[in-house]
Amino acid sequence: MTVKGGTSQACAACKYQRRKCSAGCQLARYFPPDNPRMFQNAHKLFGVSNILRIINNLKTQEEKEEAMRTIIYESKVRDRYPVHGCYGIIVELHCKINQAELELEAVNAQLNFYRQQQHRMSQSSPPPNHSPPHLQLGNTSPINALPLFQQHPHQSYNGMASGINQHHNSLSNGSNGVVYNTNLEYIESKEGIVNSFWVPCNNFLATQPQFITTQGFPIQQVPEAPQDYDEMHVFFDTVDDRQSYIESKDAYESRYICVHLVRLVLTVVVQVFEADEIRIISHRCSSPPSNASTT
Amino acid sequence: MTGIGSPCGACKFLRRKCVNGCVFAPYFSHEQGAAHFAAIHKVFGASNVSKLLMHLPVADRCEAALTISYEARARLQDPIYGCVSHIFALQQQVFNLQEQLASLKTQASQGLAMAVQLHPMDNFLSTSRGL
Repeated sequence: MTVKGGTSQACAACKYQRRKCSAGCQLARYFPPDNPRMFQNAHKLFGVSNILRIINNLKTQEEKEEAMRTIIYESKVRDRYPVHGCYGIIVELHCKINQAELELEAVNAQLNFYRQQQHRMSQSSPPPNHSPPHLQLGNTSPINALPLFQQHPHQSYNGMASGINQHHNSLSNGSNGVVYNTNLEYIESKEGIVNSFWVPCNNFLATQPQFITTQGFPIQQVPEAPQDYDEMHVFFDTVDDRQSYIESKDAYESRYICVHLVRLVLTVVVQVFEADEIRIISHRCSSPPSNASTT
Repeated sequence: MTGIGSPCGACKFLRRKCVNGCVFAPYFSHEQGAAHFAAIHKVFGASNVSKLLMHLPVADRCEAALTISYEARARLQDPIYGCVSHIFALQQQVFNLQEQLASLKTQASQGLAMAVQLHPMDNFLSTSRGL
């Protein structure tokens, strides 16, 4: 309702109540005329007299403004979620905190594992120029298997690292990656809150064991393997089955190629020796015998 | 449940006759019913809460009464922020945990990369030992 002869518009509170909006209207600054819904929600939950009583009991203007902000927020949430209101948001935040704490625990365990592994590696690191023994036989050229396999491990490990990073990203996407601040608009923009009290916690409980098992890394006990390569295989097997399959496949292939090469070399050597033997025998047959038997 | 003729906590507080279809009776008949309703009445008003409950399905009214009671008591304890202060505190806690988690995940991914760099030679040695 507009003031006669004036240009200022009545506030949403006075408009709703269909009364004259005086200059000293206490609610005018909190309920602008362009947002009538805000006052309707506050009026529906608190009522005008209760709002005014709450404000008038406060001393400073800042306190009054803060109180009005929270009253408007509370009534807006109650309008959106009539059954649970702000308590539903509190419950969901508690669930998020529990989830984040569990995730923190898991990542801490992973970090401890890496630190232990690093410590173990630093204690038992091999000599830098160590190379596997290669076959070197006579005229045959030495076979050095090392250059053939230097590229494969890097590719397989990089793929696995990216797979784990993707898994971590997929885990972090559950929390929306939203930057948290104390702005009330953040809470208002959340779409995930439903009226059912137990849905967020149930979903959380349902996903909790899945979260722990798919994470994969050894939280409870690190297997005590005597050798590093055994421990390494166990670790990667638990992290990503697909990648570990590729990793073991490469290892199997490289081992197979090594065996194959050794066999090839051995056959060549045998052939060379056989060829020499045949040459010697033919030479002996062609040359006149030095000790011919006489009758 | 109230006995026959025994008013619920809300009607006791309001000093009125508790009729058969009293909307508050199922939810404010316990020991603390009157005290809880007093807080609700002071903050929100009996008529507002009555209208709110009447607009809800019967199955949801109990939870609504509990949450309204919680918000009213929170507002009496903290007239400025009410239960919203609790939301702010939890929100901040979630934010801090998310930050901590992001930082640790970065460290974990760096640890993994480092482990990968240290392992190629060991992997080759392991395969050559398998001959």
